[in-house]
Amino acid sequence: MELELGLALPVYNPIKFELLPKKISRRGGGCLESRNSCVKNKRSYEEAFGEIDVAASKTRPLLLWNGQPNEEDDRKGHDKEIDSETIISNVIRKDEEDAVLVGWPPIKSSRKKMLHVHGGGGFVQNKPRAKGNSSDGSNNSMYVKVKMEGVAITRKIDMRLYHSYHTLKNTLISMFSKYQRCNQNGGDYILTYQDKEGDWLLAADVPWKTFIESVQRLEIRRNWEG
Amino acid sequence: MLRMANSFPEEVLEHVFSFIQSDKDRNSISMVCKSWYEIERWCRRRIFVGNCYAVSPRMVIRRFPEVRSIELKGKPHFADFNLVPEGWGGYVQPWIVAMIGAYPLLEEIRLKRMVVTDDSLELIAKSFKNFKVLVLSSCEGFSTDGLAAIAANCRNLRELDLRESEVDDLSGHWLSHFPDTYTSLVSLNIACLVSEVSFSALERLVGRCPNLRSLRLNRAVPLERLANLLRRAPQLVELGTGAYSAELRPDVFSNLAGALSDCKELKSLSGFWDVVPAYLPAVYSTCPGLTTLNLSYATIQSPDLIKLVSQCQNLQCLWVLDYIEDVGLDALAASCKDLRELRVFPSDPFGMEPNVALTEQGLVSVSEGCPKLHSVLYFCRQMSNAALLTIARNQPNFTCFRLCIIEPHTPDYLTRQPLDVGFGAIVEHCKDLRRLSVSGLLTDRVFEYIGTHGKKLEMLSLAFAGDSDLGLHHVLSGCENLRKLEIRDCPFGDKALLANAAKLETMRSLWMSSCSVSYGACKLLGQKMPRLNVEVIDERGHPDTRPESCPVEKLYIYRSVAGPRSDMPGFVWTMGGDSDFKPHKLNII
Repeated sequence: MELELGLALPVYNPIKFELLPKKISRRGGGCLESRNSCVKNKRSYEEAFGEIDVAASKTRPLLLWNGQPNEEDDRKGHDKEIDSETIISNVIRKDEEDAVLVGWPPIKSSRKKMLHVHGGGGFVQNKPRAKGNSSDGSNNSMYVKVKMEGVAITRKIDMRLYHSYHTLKNTLISMFSKYQRCNQNGGDYILTYQDKEGDWLLAADVPWKTFIESVQRLEIRRNWEG
Repeated sequence: MLRMANSFPEEVLEHVFSFIQSDKDRNSISMVCKSWYEIERWCRRRIFVGNCYAVSPRMVIRRFPEVRSIELKGKPHFADFNLVPEGWGGYVQPWIVAMIGAYPLLEEIRLKRMVVTDDSLELIAKSFKNFKVLVLSSCEGFSTDGLAAIAANCRNLRELDLRESEVDDLSGHWLSHFPDTYTSLVSLNIACLVSEVSFSALERLVGRCPNLRSLRLNRAVPLERLANLLRRAPQLVELGTGAYSAELRPDVFSNLAGALSDCKELKSLSGFWDVVPAYLPAVYSTCPGLTTLNLSYATIQSPDLIKLVSQCQNLQCLWVLDYIEDVGLDALAASCKDLRELRVFPSDPFGMEPNVALTEQGLVSVSEGCPKLHSVLYFCRQMSNAALLTIARNQPNFTCFRLCIIEPHTPDYLTRQPLDVGFGAIVEHCKDLRRLSVSGLLTDRVFEYIGTHGKKLEMLSLAFAGDSDLGLHHVLSGCENLRKLEIRDCPFGDKALLANAAKLETMRSLWMSSCSVSYGACKLLGQKMPRLNVEVIDERGHPDTRPESCPVEKLYIYRSVAGPRSDMPGFVWTMGGDSDFKPHKLNII
């Protein structure tokens, strides 16, 4: 039940009401002055806004803001529409400079806590609380990013769901086959992985257990020799 | 009208008023005449205060002496995204202290984004003899000790809901403080807690409360224990599972599937942390009855999601991660014809490259296939004006449309144009739109559309949009019903704000961070508008140490009849009224 508190119909006290400080009203010109006076003499909210609305609809809104500083602003806006590419590249450059943007994308902190940053920027689910020993609990998931040569989309898979090179490779090939027509024959592809040192290695060269312990990223490449 | 009013005895009017539930209508009643105002205030049992600093507890108590249920909101909405610094305020303690004396019969307290201490919880537990409902939504500051006090003392407690609160989780033992004679629980939500609750206490509690309808467990409750809990409460309507993973064992599976299929009333499922897909078929039997499904913590891939969702033909509300992908949303559109609300959350919000095949197409499909859809929250990485236009035409019933294109300033990916026309189509076609969040590359033009068409808009969230003051001016002068406006990283400044100062008094609040409003303009606004609390939040130090033309970091403006608040931390300054306005001392502590 929202308390209106009488604020919907505020009673203004008749103080002299200069909304804009001198240096700002200087920019304003005629229209802003008149808006000022209508606020100054306001009797009720509706009336005051009635006047503003009338003023706004008679003179196109831009005319309300026809002071010099706005012309610059408007030109900037115009450019943006025409040449959004430039703006975007600027933005990207800016974002690279300060990579951390607080509060964006807008995800509740409670949700963020459920997922925590892992390895190459991916997310894994947090364990409720370490039960006795370390983070390698049996039902802890372990997500790594997977790319396939020639496919734009990167996927993420839970390594704990796989127990052999064979099933892993087959699953990945069929997962990516919806983005690109690829031969379901596993022999046409090789599985490479990045280890903790950042080196790319052939997956089949090491025992499964060693692989699982060191894999950070996966990439499926075409086996041109095969 | 007046004469008719006077011809009724007060008791009759009171009885008539008691049928009027809507807050707005009650407010209208109280404005009819003095005697209706008097009668109404004595029989008002429920109060909602949308901003705990807009009025003092004393004023509320003076006007409404017989309140049984109160709902209070504290911090600004952007606090959800860490934009409000720690220690900003929103303390409930002064309200509790004031209500103890005034409302001994208080039954319900619902708080959102407030700081609640264990002291507050202990006071609630010991002071209100017939206390029934405690809902703490996105609250913080308390521990499981405070919860233990509630459990131990509130014999008539029906509902304890900690949704998304940040609880200092000292131990899971608090649950065993519910006395053995306690049987009145109807709803329990402890999903936000981290530590393991005492399972035997939980099982006994669930077993002895015959009216339990809603049970939302936390992640520490293992799947193996779920079946046992369910067997004790087959009457459940809402269930939040714990971690939905276990070693694959046929007996665990069949036990769980059996217990779930015995819950004939189930309408809502949530939880599903750490899902092992092989266990999902255990819930299939409940699917036809489900209206609400929250899979937003379930990191399972599209094929598993499709199998689950396409069995829920009566689904009205779905929350899900973007792992559902476009193909999953196609399936949703094909099978869930009753869908009203859809939220799609990002699984990898900070990654640079897309990790899933979720685009604007998924939302287009759902807007085509689900005729009752009226509320959407959708995170994605690409959008087009054409898609937004189609969505708007398909779905003029939207009341809530929140679209987050993850990379700021993303243009229409087909034409490289701003998304002005697309969002313009949304506000133009959806006449009942109440809540809107826009994102992507947007110029002042989109705000002209919003100001022109968004006549019912009540809450608007803006980020990285617009080019000049004109944008904000369109919104403030055009959106007649706007109550909450929150803006970050937009080039809006003094002119639009000052020219629409009177409008701010008709709104609940305005948040602006990383915009172009100068300290000088904030001061002026504070001085000239005594009914507005103009608070500058700046963690760089006192704004006086910088030139007046310097933009403030964050600005929070809200109307208040209580005057400036007295609990501001060192990084918040209230503007204006230094000498001519004496702060209204909250006469309660």
